[in-house]
Amino acid sequence: MNITAIEQRSTLMRNMRHWFSESDYLEVDTPLLSTHLIPEPTIANFATWYLSEFHGSRELYLVPSPEVFMKQIIAETGRSVYQFSHCFRNREQIGSHHNPEFTMLEYYTVGADEVDSIAITEELLAKTRLPDTPEHLLPPFRRMRMAEAISTFAGFDLDATQSINALRSEAIRLGLTLPDHPESWEETFNRIFLNCVEPELPQDKPLVLTEYPKQIDCLATQTPGRPYRRRWELYAGGVELANCYDEQRNRETVAAYYRDQYAQLSSERAYTAEVIPDIDQSFIDLFDHFPPCSGVALGFDRLLMLQGGYKTIGDLILFSFSAMMADGR
Amino acid sequence: MIKAGQIDKGTALLIKGQPFICVEREFVNPGKGSAFVRLKLKSPATGQVLRETMKTQDNAEDITVEDRDCQYLYNDGEHFHFMMTETYEQIEVPMSTFEDYQFIMKEGETYRVTFWEHQPLDIQVPTKVVYEVAEAEEAIKGDTVTGATKTVVTDTGLSVRVPIFIKQGERILVNTETKEYIERVNR
Repeated sequence: MNITAIEQRSTLMRNMRHWFSESDYLEVDTPLLSTHLIPEPTIANFATWYLSEFHGSRELYLVPSPEVFMKQIIAETGRSVYQFSHCFRNREQIGSHHNPEFTMLEYYTVGADEVDSIAITEELLAKTRLPDTPEHLLPPFRRMRMAEAISTFAGFDLDATQSINALRSEAIRLGLTLPDHPESWEETFNRIFLNCVEPELPQDKPLVLTEYPKQIDCLATQTPGRPYRRRWELYAGGVELANCYDEQRNRETVAAYYRDQYAQLSSERAYTAEVIPDIDQSFIDLFDHFPPCSGVALGFDRLLMLQGGYKTIGDLILFSFSAMMADGR
Repeated sequence: MIKAGQIDKGTALLIKGQPFICVEREFVNPGKGSAFVRLKLKSPATGQVLRETMKTQDNAEDITVEDRDCQYLYNDGEHFHFMMTETYEQIEVPMSTFEDYQFIMKEGETYRVTFWEHQPLDIQVPTKVVYEVAEAEEAIKGDTVTGATKTVVTDTGLSVRVPIFIKQGERILVNTETKEYIERVNR
Protein backbone atom coordinates (compact mmCIF):
# COMPACT_ATOMS: atom_id res chain seq x y z
CA MET A 1 0.00 0.00 0.00
CA ASN A 2 1.33 3.42 -0.96
CA ILE A 3 1.34 5.40 2.31
CA THR A 4 2.63 8.53 0.53
CA ALA A 5 -0.37 8.47 -1.82
CA ILE A 6 -2.76 8.21 1.13
CA GLU A 7 -1.12 11.25 2.72
CA GLN A 8 -1.06 13.23 -0.53
CA ARG A 9 -4.77 12.57 -1.11
CA SER A 10 -5.53 13.75 2.39
CA THR A 11 -3.41 16.91 1.98
CA LEU A 12 -4.84 17.89 -1.38
CA MET A 13 -8.43 17.35 -0.20
CA ARG A 14 -7.80 19.35 2.98
CA ASN A 15 -6.21 22.22 0.98
CA MET A 16 -9.13 22.25 -1.42
CA ARG A 17 -11.77 22.14 1.31
CA HIS A 18 -10.04 25.08 2.96
CA TRP A 19 -9.97 27.05 -0.31
CA PHE A 20 -13.63 26.36 -1.09
CA SER A 21 -14.69 27.26 2.43
CA GLU A 22 -12.73 30.55 2.31
CA SER A 23 -14.34 31.27 -1.07
CA ASP A 24 -17.84 30.79 0.36
CA TYR A 25 -18.78 27.54 -1.36
CA LEU A 26 -21.07 25.13 0.45
CA GLU A 27 -19.79 21.57 0.66
CA VAL A 28 -22.54 19.07 -0.10
CA ASP A 29 -22.78 15.32 0.24
CA THR A 30 -25.31 13.75 -2.12
CA PRO A 31 -26.37 10.09 -2.53
CA LEU A 32 -24.29 7.58 -4.43
CA LEU A 33 -27.21 5.15 -4.63
CA SER A 34 -30.21 6.54 -6.47
CA THR A 35 -33.65 5.47 -7.66
CA HIS A 36 -33.31 7.54 -10.85
CA LEU A 37 -30.55 8.83 -13.14
CA ILE A 38 -30.41 11.41 -15.88
CA PRO A 39 -30.10 9.80 -19.35
CA GLU A 40 -26.49 9.70 -20.59
CA PRO A 41 -26.23 7.28 -23.54
CA THR A 42 -22.42 7.21 -23.55
CA ILE A 43 -22.12 6.15 -19.91
CA ALA A 44 -22.92 2.55 -18.99
CA ASN A 45 -24.49 2.28 -15.54
CA PHE A 46 -24.19 0.03 -12.53
CA ALA A 47 -27.49 -1.27 -11.16
CA THR A 48 -28.29 -3.19 -8.00
CA TRP A 49 -31.41 -4.21 -6.07
CA TYR A 50 -32.98 -2.80 -2.95
CA LEU A 51 -34.81 -5.68 -1.28
CA SER A 52 -37.66 -4.81 1.02
CA GLU A 53 -40.65 -6.65 2.42
CA PHE A 54 -42.16 -3.32 3.45
CA HIS A 55 -41.74 -0.99 0.48
CA GLY A 56 -41.45 -3.41 -2.41
CA SER A 57 -38.12 -4.27 -4.01
CA ARG A 58 -36.72 -2.08 -6.74
CA GLU A 59 -33.72 -1.44 -8.92
CA LEU A 60 -31.24 1.21 -7.78
CA TYR A 61 -28.30 2.82 -9.57
CA LEU A 62 -24.83 3.96 -8.58
CA VAL A 63 -24.47 7.55 -9.75
CA PRO A 64 -22.11 8.27 -12.68
CA SER A 65 -21.85 11.87 -11.39
CA PRO A 66 -23.47 13.97 -8.65
CA GLU A 67 -24.65 16.62 -11.16
CA VAL A 68 -28.41 16.31 -10.83
CA PHE A 69 -28.42 16.38 -7.03
CA MET A 70 -26.05 19.31 -6.90
CA LYS A 71 -28.17 21.29 -9.34
CA GLN A 72 -31.22 20.73 -7.13
CA ILE A 73 -29.31 22.15 -4.15
CA ILE A 74 -28.24 25.17 -6.22
CA ALA A 75 -31.85 25.77 -7.28
CA GLU A 76 -33.01 25.56 -3.64
CA THR A 77 -30.23 27.60 -2.00
CA GLY A 78 -28.97 29.86 -4.78
CA ARG A 79 -25.46 29.14 -3.47
CA SER A 80 -22.18 28.00 -4.99
CA VAL A 81 -21.53 24.37 -4.04
CA TYR A 82 -18.80 21.76 -4.31
CA GLN A 83 -18.42 18.08 -3.62
CA PHE A 84 -15.87 15.29 -3.70
CA SER A 85 -18.03 12.47 -4.97
CA HIS A 86 -17.33 8.88 -5.85
CA CYS A 87 -18.64 8.20 -9.35
CA PHE A 88 -19.38 4.88 -10.99
CA ARG A 89 -19.09 4.14 -14.68
CA ASN A 90 -19.59 0.68 -16.03
CA ARG A 91 -17.64 -0.72 -19.01
CA GLU A 92 -14.89 1.73 -18.10
CA GLN A 93 -11.49 0.40 -19.01
CA ILE A 94 -9.29 -0.42 -16.06
CA GLY A 95 -6.25 1.50 -17.21
CA SER A 96 -3.73 4.21 -16.57
CA HIS A 97 -6.38 6.96 -16.45
CA HIS A 98 -9.54 5.00 -15.72
CA ASN A 99 -11.14 3.03 -12.93
CA PRO A 100 -14.86 2.08 -12.84
CA GLU A 101 -15.08 3.89 -9.49
CA PHE A 102 -13.28 7.21 -9.17
CA THR A 103 -13.38 10.48 -7.27
CA MET A 104 -14.75 13.55 -8.98
CA LEU A 105 -14.45 17.08 -7.67
CA GLU A 106 -17.47 18.96 -8.93
CA TYR A 107 -17.97 22.69 -8.24
CA TYR A 108 -20.63 25.11 -9.40
CA THR A 109 -20.14 28.86 -9.09
CA VAL A 110 -23.34 30.89 -9.01
CA GLY A 111 -23.18 34.15 -10.96
CA ALA A 112 -20.12 33.00 -12.90
CA ASP A 113 -19.80 31.96 -16.53
CA GLU A 114 -17.32 29.57 -18.13
CA VAL A 115 -14.71 32.31 -18.61
CA ASP A 116 -14.86 33.17 -14.90
CA SER A 117 -14.45 29.47 -14.17
CA ILE A 118 -11.05 29.45 -15.89
CA ALA A 119 -9.73 32.02 -13.41
CA ILE A 120 -11.45 30.23 -10.50
CA THR A 121 -9.85 26.93 -11.49
CA GLU A 122 -6.44 28.58 -11.90
CA GLU A 123 -6.66 30.02 -8.41
CA LEU A 124 -7.92 26.75 -6.94
CA LEU A 125 -5.06 24.72 -8.42
CA ALA A 126 -2.43 27.35 -7.60
CA LYS A 127 -3.50 27.73 -3.96
CA THR A 128 -4.06 24.07 -3.13
CA ARG A 129 -1.26 22.31 -4.99
CA LEU A 130 0.95 19.67 -3.46
CA PRO A 131 4.55 20.72 -2.85
CA ASP A 132 6.85 19.57 -5.68
CA THR A 133 4.16 19.82 -8.36
CA PRO A 134 6.05 20.40 -11.64
CA GLU A 135 5.68 23.89 -13.19
CA HIS A 136 4.16 22.60 -16.42
CA LEU A 137 1.15 21.34 -14.45
CA LEU A 138 0.49 24.63 -12.68
CA PRO A 139 -1.37 27.82 -13.65
CA PRO A 140 -1.45 30.10 -15.54
CA PHE A 141 -3.26 28.03 -18.16
CA ARG A 142 -2.80 28.44 -21.88
CA ARG A 143 -6.07 29.20 -23.66
CA MET A 144 -6.93 28.00 -27.13
CA ARG A 145 -10.21 28.00 -29.01
CA MET A 146 -11.19 24.71 -30.67
CA ALA A 147 -11.30 26.43 -34.08
CA GLU A 148 -7.71 27.60 -33.51
CA ALA A 149 -6.59 24.08 -32.54
CA ILE A 150 -8.27 22.60 -35.62
CA SER A 151 -6.71 25.21 -37.90
CA THR A 152 -3.24 24.69 -36.38
CA PHE A 153 -3.15 20.90 -36.17
CA ALA A 154 -5.66 19.72 -38.77
CA GLY A 155 -5.28 22.58 -41.23
CA PHE A 156 -8.85 23.60 -41.95
CA ASP A 157 -11.37 26.30 -41.07
CA LEU A 158 -13.90 24.88 -38.61
CA ASP A 159 -16.34 27.78 -39.07
CA ALA A 160 -16.56 26.89 -42.75
CA THR A 161 -16.86 23.14 -42.17
CA GLN A 162 -20.33 22.90 -40.72
CA SER A 163 -21.79 20.35 -43.15
CA ILE A 164 -21.14 16.64 -42.77
CA ASN A 165 -19.89 16.41 -46.37
CA ALA A 166 -17.33 19.18 -45.88
CA LEU A 167 -16.12 17.55 -42.67
CA ARG A 168 -15.87 14.11 -44.30
CA SER A 169 -13.73 15.59 -47.09
CA GLU A 170 -11.34 17.04 -44.51
CA ALA A 171 -11.13 13.70 -42.68
CA ILE A 172 -10.30 11.91 -45.93
CA ARG A 173 -7.73 14.59 -46.85
CA LEU A 174 -6.11 13.95 -43.44
CA GLY A 175 -5.81 10.25 -44.33
CA LEU A 176 -8.35 8.97 -41.82
CA THR A 177 -10.30 5.80 -42.52
CA LEU A 178 -14.04 6.39 -42.37
CA PRO A 179 -16.65 3.64 -42.16
CA ASP A 180 -18.79 2.95 -45.22
CA HIS A 181 -21.99 3.70 -43.35
CA PRO A 182 -22.93 7.32 -42.71
CA GLU A 183 -21.98 8.78 -39.35
CA SER A 184 -22.84 11.96 -37.52
CA TRP A 185 -20.88 15.23 -37.73
CA GLU A 186 -19.89 14.72 -34.10
CA GLU A 187 -18.44 11.24 -34.76
CA THR A 188 -16.34 12.38 -37.70
CA PHE A 189 -15.24 15.44 -35.74
CA ASN A 190 -14.12 13.22 -32.84
CA ARG A 191 -12.06 11.09 -35.25
CA ILE A 192 -10.27 14.19 -36.51
CA PHE A 193 -9.83 15.64 -33.03
CA LEU A 194 -8.48 12.43 -31.46
CA ASN A 195 -6.18 11.49 -34.35
CA CYS A 196 -4.81 14.85 -35.44
CA VAL A 197 -5.40 17.43 -32.71
CA GLU A 198 -5.40 16.04 -29.17
CA PRO A 199 -1.98 14.30 -29.41
CA GLU A 200 -0.44 17.57 -30.69
CA LEU A 201 -1.80 19.92 -28.03
CA PRO A 202 1.03 21.82 -26.30
CA GLN A 203 1.98 20.41 -22.89
CA ASP A 204 4.37 23.08 -21.60
CA LYS A 205 1.50 24.50 -19.52
CA PRO A 206 -2.02 23.28 -18.72
CA LEU A 207 -4.28 24.04 -21.67
CA VAL A 208 -7.87 25.21 -21.61
CA LEU A 209 -9.50 24.27 -24.89
CA THR A 210 -12.57 26.50 -25.30
CA GLU A 211 -15.61 26.78 -27.57
CA TYR A 212 -16.60 23.22 -28.50
CA PRO A 213 -18.64 22.71 -31.68
CA LYS A 214 -22.38 23.15 -31.18
CA GLN A 215 -22.98 19.78 -32.87
CA ILE A 216 -21.59 18.09 -29.75
CA ASP A 217 -24.83 18.27 -27.86
CA CYS A 218 -24.61 18.97 -24.13
CA LEU A 219 -25.99 21.25 -21.44
CA ALA A 220 -23.57 24.10 -22.19
CA THR A 221 -25.15 27.24 -23.63
CA GLN A 222 -24.37 28.29 -27.21
CA THR A 223 -22.10 31.19 -28.16
CA PRO A 224 -24.42 33.85 -29.64
CA GLY A 225 -24.27 33.95 -33.44
CA ARG A 226 -21.50 31.39 -33.81
CA PRO A 227 -21.60 27.57 -34.12
CA TYR A 228 -19.99 26.81 -30.75
CA ARG A 229 -20.84 26.07 -27.15
CA ARG A 230 -19.63 27.84 -24.03
CA ARG A 231 -17.71 24.85 -22.78
CA TRP A 232 -14.06 24.11 -22.11
CA GLU A 233 -11.87 21.17 -21.25
CA LEU A 234 -8.66 21.40 -19.28
CA TYR A 235 -5.67 19.31 -20.35
CA ALA A 236 -2.58 18.97 -18.17
CA GLY A 237 0.41 16.80 -18.98
CA GLY A 238 -1.59 15.41 -21.92
CA VAL A 239 -4.36 14.21 -19.59
CA GLU A 240 -7.98 15.35 -19.85
CA LEU A 241 -8.48 16.76 -16.39
CA ALA A 242 -11.65 18.86 -16.21
CA ASN A 243 -14.74 19.84 -18.14
CA CYS A 244 -16.67 23.09 -17.70
CA TYR A 245 -19.99 24.47 -18.96
CA ASP A 246 -21.77 27.72 -18.85
CA GLU A 247 -24.82 25.85 -17.57
CA GLN A 248 -27.96 25.72 -19.67
CA ARG A 249 -30.90 27.14 -17.64
CA ASN A 250 -33.72 27.16 -20.16
CA ARG A 251 -36.27 24.59 -19.01
CA GLU A 252 -37.52 23.75 -22.50
CA THR A 253 -33.98 23.35 -23.91
CA VAL A 254 -32.97 21.05 -21.04
CA ALA A 255 -36.20 19.04 -21.37
CA ALA A 256 -35.68 18.60 -25.12
CA TYR A 257 -32.04 17.60 -24.57
CA TYR A 258 -32.99 14.91 -22.06
CA ARG A 259 -35.79 13.64 -24.32
CA ASP A 260 -33.25 13.18 -27.14
CA GLN A 261 -30.70 11.58 -24.83
CA TYR A 262 -33.27 9.16 -23.43
CA ALA A 263 -34.52 8.23 -26.90
CA GLN A 264 -30.95 7.48 -27.97
CA LEU A 265 -30.16 5.56 -24.77
CA SER A 266 -33.29 3.41 -24.87
CA SER A 267 -32.97 2.58 -28.57
CA GLU A 268 -29.28 1.69 -28.24
CA ARG A 269 -29.76 -0.40 -25.11
CA ALA A 270 -32.99 -2.19 -26.11
CA TYR A 271 -32.35 -5.92 -26.58
CA THR A 272 -28.95 -5.66 -24.86
CA ALA A 273 -27.90 -6.49 -21.32
CA GLU A 274 -27.20 -2.80 -20.64
CA VAL A 275 -28.99 -1.09 -17.77
CA ILE A 276 -31.77 1.28 -18.84
CA PRO A 277 -32.15 3.48 -15.77
CA ASP A 278 -35.43 4.98 -14.57
CA ILE A 279 -35.63 8.68 -15.29
CA ASP A 280 -37.26 11.12 -12.87
CA GLN A 281 -39.19 13.58 -15.04
CA SER A 282 -39.78 15.95 -12.14
CA PHE A 283 -36.16 17.08 -11.75
CA ILE A 284 -36.71 19.31 -14.76
CA ASP A 285 -38.74 21.53 -12.42
CA LEU A 286 -35.54 22.78 -10.82
CA PHE A 287 -34.92 24.83 -13.97
CA ASP A 288 -37.87 27.05 -13.07
CA HIS A 289 -35.56 28.89 -10.67
CA PHE A 290 -32.01 27.88 -11.59
CA PRO A 291 -29.55 30.79 -11.25
CA PRO A 292 -26.88 31.61 -13.86
CA CYS A 293 -23.88 29.47 -13.00
CA SER A 294 -20.88 27.63 -14.33
CA GLY A 295 -20.02 24.06 -13.36
CA VAL A 296 -16.68 22.27 -13.43
CA ALA A 297 -16.14 18.52 -13.10
CA LEU A 298 -12.53 17.68 -12.31
CA GLY A 299 -11.06 14.18 -12.11
CA PHE A 300 -9.56 14.29 -8.63
CA ASP A 301 -7.59 11.04 -8.97
CA ARG A 302 -6.05 12.28 -12.21
CA LEU A 303 -5.06 15.57 -10.57
CA LEU A 304 -3.44 13.66 -7.72
CA MET A 305 -1.68 11.42 -10.24
CA LEU A 306 -0.21 14.45 -12.04
CA GLN A 307 0.73 16.47 -8.96
CA GLY A 308 2.17 13.45 -7.15
CA GLY A 309 4.19 12.38 -10.19
CA TYR A 310 2.44 9.02 -10.63
CA LYS A 311 2.18 7.26 -13.99
CA THR A 312 -1.23 5.65 -13.48
CA ILE A 313 -4.21 6.25 -11.23
CA GLY A 314 -3.82 2.62 -10.14
CA ASP A 315 -0.71 3.81 -8.25
CA LEU A 316 -2.74 6.09 -6.01
CA ILE A 317 -6.34 4.83 -5.87
CA LEU A 318 -6.48 2.73 -2.75
CA PHE A 319 -7.71 -0.77 -3.54
CA SER A 320 -8.01 -0.03 -7.26
CA PHE A 321 -9.75 -2.49 -9.56
CA SER A 322 -6.46 -3.27 -11.28
CA ALA A 323 -4.88 -4.25 -7.95
CA MET A 324 -7.92 -6.25 -6.85
CA MET A 325 -8.12 -8.10 -10.16
CA ALA A 326 -4.37 -8.78 -10.30
CA ASP A 327 -4.71 -10.59 -6.99
CA GLY A 328 -7.22 -12.90 -8.65
CA ARG A 329 -10.11 -11.68 -6.54
CA MET B 1 -12.78 -8.98 -38.83
CA ILE B 2 -13.00 -7.81 -35.26
CA LYS B 3 -14.34 -4.65 -33.66
CA ALA B 4 -11.68 -2.11 -32.76
CA GLY B 5 -12.95 -2.27 -29.17
CA GLN B 6 -11.84 -5.92 -28.98
CA ILE B 7 -8.25 -5.16 -29.93
CA ASP B 8 -5.93 -5.74 -26.99
CA LYS B 9 -2.22 -5.60 -26.36
CA GLY B 10 -0.72 -8.38 -28.48
CA THR B 11 -3.57 -8.52 -31.03
CA ALA B 12 -2.17 -8.98 -34.55
CA LEU B 13 -3.76 -6.92 -37.32
CA LEU B 14 -3.29 -6.63 -41.06
CA ILE B 15 -3.05 -3.00 -42.17
CA LYS B 16 -2.57 -2.30 -45.88
CA GLY B 17 -1.25 -5.84 -46.29
CA GLN B 18 1.33 -5.52 -43.49
CA PRO B 19 1.12 -7.30 -40.14
CA PHE B 20 1.12 -5.07 -37.07
CA ILE B 21 1.05 -5.93 -33.37
CA CYS B 22 -0.85 -3.80 -30.91
CA VAL B 23 1.61 -2.67 -28.23
CA GLU B 24 -0.55 -0.13 -26.41
CA ARG B 25 -4.26 0.34 -26.11
CA GLU B 26 -6.28 2.91 -24.25
CA PHE B 27 -9.98 3.68 -24.36
CA VAL B 28 -10.96 7.32 -24.60
CA ASN B 29 -14.32 9.03 -24.43
CA PRO B 30 -13.92 12.46 -25.92
CA GLY B 31 -15.92 14.59 -23.46
CA LYS B 32 -19.27 12.81 -23.19
CA GLY B 33 -18.85 11.36 -26.69
CA SER B 34 -19.01 7.75 -27.84
CA ALA B 35 -16.14 5.40 -27.08
CA PHE B 36 -12.90 5.42 -29.03
CA VAL B 37 -9.82 3.29 -28.65
CA ARG B 38 -6.33 4.71 -29.03
CA LEU B 39 -3.90 2.17 -30.44
CA LYS B 40 -0.15 2.06 -30.81
CA LEU B 41 0.73 -0.54 -33.43
CA LYS B 42 4.15 -1.78 -34.38
CA SER B 43 5.34 -3.55 -37.50
CA PRO B 44 7.59 -6.44 -36.42
CA ALA B 45 9.33 -6.42 -39.80
CA THR B 46 10.30 -2.76 -39.97
CA GLY B 47 9.74 -1.44 -36.45
CA GLN B 48 7.41 1.20 -37.94
CA VAL B 49 4.99 2.62 -35.39
CA LEU B 50 1.42 3.56 -36.24
CA ARG B 51 -0.82 5.52 -33.93
CA GLU B 52 -4.46 5.17 -34.72
CA THR B 53 -7.59 6.16 -32.87
CA MET B 54 -10.69 4.27 -33.94
CA LYS B 55 -14.29 4.07 -32.80
CA THR B 56 -14.76 0.91 -30.77
CA GLN B 57 -17.43 -0.14 -33.30
CA ASP B 58 -15.10 0.22 -36.33
CA ASN B 59 -13.98 -2.96 -38.06
CA ALA B 60 -10.36 -4.06 -38.11
CA GLU B 61 -8.75 -6.98 -39.95
CA ASP B 62 -7.22 -9.39 -37.48
CA ILE B 63 -4.94 -12.28 -38.44
CA THR B 64 -4.56 -15.75 -37.03
CA VAL B 65 -1.28 -16.23 -35.28
CA GLU B 66 0.45 -19.15 -33.64
CA ASP B 67 2.57 -19.23 -30.48
CA ARG B 68 5.70 -21.42 -30.31
CA ASP B 69 8.27 -22.00 -27.57
CA CYS B 70 11.64 -20.61 -28.56
CA GLN B 71 14.91 -20.59 -26.66
CA TYR B 72 16.75 -17.26 -26.70
CA LEU B 73 20.35 -17.88 -27.70
CA TYR B 74 22.10 -14.51 -28.18
CA ASN B 75 21.96 -11.24 -30.08
CA ASP B 76 24.45 -9.99 -32.66
CA GLY B 77 23.57 -6.31 -32.26
CA GLU B 78 21.00 -6.44 -35.06
CA HIS B 79 19.02 -9.61 -34.49
CA PHE B 80 17.91 -11.78 -31.62
CA HIS B 81 18.66 -15.41 -32.38
CA PHE B 82 16.20 -18.01 -31.14
CA MET B 83 15.88 -21.77 -31.52
CA MET B 84 12.44 -23.32 -31.77
CA THR B 85 12.43 -25.96 -29.07
CA GLU B 86 10.29 -28.43 -31.04
CA THR B 87 12.15 -28.39 -34.36
CA TYR B 88 15.59 -27.01 -33.35
CA GLU B 89 15.14 -24.58 -36.25
CA GLN B 90 16.88 -21.24 -35.68
CA ILE B 91 15.14 -17.93 -36.29
CA GLU B 92 16.13 -14.25 -36.25
CA VAL B 93 14.05 -11.38 -34.91
CA PRO B 94 15.11 -7.79 -35.70
CA MET B 95 16.18 -6.07 -32.47
CA SER B 96 14.89 -2.67 -33.63
CA THR B 97 11.32 -3.86 -33.13
CA PHE B 98 11.89 -4.85 -29.52
CA GLU B 99 14.09 -2.02 -28.33
CA ASP B 100 14.81 -2.89 -24.73
CA TYR B 101 14.28 -6.66 -24.89
CA GLN B 102 18.03 -7.22 -24.93
CA PHE B 103 18.02 -6.05 -21.32
CA ILE B 104 15.02 -8.05 -20.15
CA MET B 105 15.49 -11.42 -21.91
CA LYS B 106 17.89 -13.97 -20.47
CA GLU B 107 20.11 -16.09 -22.69
CA GLY B 108 19.13 -19.75 -22.53
CA GLU B 109 15.60 -18.94 -21.34
CA THR B 110 12.54 -20.11 -23.33
CA TYR B 111 9.92 -17.56 -24.43
CA ARG B 112 6.66 -17.81 -26.34
CA VAL B 113 7.11 -16.28 -29.78
CA THR B 114 4.08 -15.35 -31.89
CA PHE B 115 4.26 -16.29 -35.58
CA TRP B 116 2.17 -15.33 -38.58
CA GLU B 117 2.88 -17.33 -41.72
CA HIS B 118 6.36 -18.29 -40.39
CA GLN B 119 7.15 -14.65 -39.64
CA PRO B 120 7.92 -13.92 -35.95
CA LEU B 121 5.68 -11.06 -34.82
CA ASP B 122 5.96 -10.87 -31.06
CA ILE B 123 8.04 -12.11 -28.14
CA GLN B 124 6.15 -12.65 -24.92
CA VAL B 125 8.16 -11.81 -21.81
CA PRO B 126 6.45 -12.41 -18.45
CA THR B 127 5.42 -9.17 -16.71
CA LYS B 128 7.28 -10.07 -13.54
CA VAL B 129 10.80 -11.49 -13.79
CA VAL B 130 13.47 -12.19 -11.18
CA TYR B 131 16.94 -10.79 -11.97
CA GLU B 132 20.24 -10.93 -10.16
CA VAL B 133 21.83 -7.59 -9.26
CA ALA B 134 25.18 -7.49 -11.07
CA GLU B 135 26.27 -3.96 -10.16
CA ALA B 136 25.23 -1.96 -7.13
CA GLU B 137 26.85 0.88 -5.26
CA GLU B 138 27.11 0.53 -1.51
CA ALA B 139 24.52 2.60 0.32
CA ILE B 140 26.01 5.74 1.81
CA LYS B 141 26.25 5.40 5.58
CA GLY B 142 23.80 7.51 7.49
CA ASP B 143 21.47 7.84 4.51
CA THR B 144 18.34 6.64 6.24
CA VAL B 145 15.74 8.81 4.51
CA THR B 146 12.66 6.66 3.90
CA GLY B 147 12.04 5.98 0.25
CA ALA B 148 15.63 6.77 -0.80
CA THR B 149 16.59 4.91 -3.97
CA LYS B 150 19.62 4.16 -6.11
CA THR B 151 20.16 2.63 -9.55
CA VAL B 152 21.47 -0.92 -9.95
CA VAL B 153 22.22 -2.96 -13.07
CA THR B 154 20.91 -6.51 -13.45
CA ASP B 155 22.74 -9.51 -14.90
CA THR B 156 20.95 -8.76 -18.20
CA GLY B 157 22.14 -5.14 -18.25
CA LEU B 158 18.84 -3.55 -17.19
CA SER B 159 19.07 -0.41 -15.03
CA VAL B 160 16.48 -0.36 -12.24
CA ARG B 161 15.75 2.12 -9.44
CA VAL B 162 15.70 0.15 -6.17
CA PRO B 163 15.62 0.91 -2.45
CA ILE B 164 19.10 1.58 -1.06
CA PHE B 165 19.22 -1.67 0.97
CA ILE B 166 19.57 -3.82 -2.20
CA LYS B 167 23.09 -5.27 -2.52
CA GLN B 168 25.11 -6.77 -5.36
CA GLY B 169 24.34 -10.48 -5.84
CA GLU B 170 20.82 -10.21 -4.43
CA ARG B 171 17.80 -11.13 -6.49
CA ILE B 172 15.00 -8.68 -7.26
CA LEU B 173 11.57 -8.97 -8.87
CA VAL B 174 11.07 -6.42 -11.67
CA ASN B 175 8.04 -5.39 -13.72
CA THR B 176 9.32 -5.83 -17.29
CA GLU B 177 6.73 -3.44 -18.76
CA THR B 178 7.51 -0.47 -16.54
CA LYS B 179 11.09 -1.57 -15.70
CA GLU B 180 10.24 -0.87 -12.09
CA TYR B 181 11.41 -2.70 -8.98
CA ILE B 182 8.69 -4.70 -7.21
CA GLU B 183 10.41 -6.48 -4.33
CA ARG B 184 13.52 -8.28 -3.07
CA VAL B 185 13.39 -12.04 -3.55
CA ASN B 186 14.59 -14.10 -0.61
CA ARG B 187 16.68 -17.09 -1.41
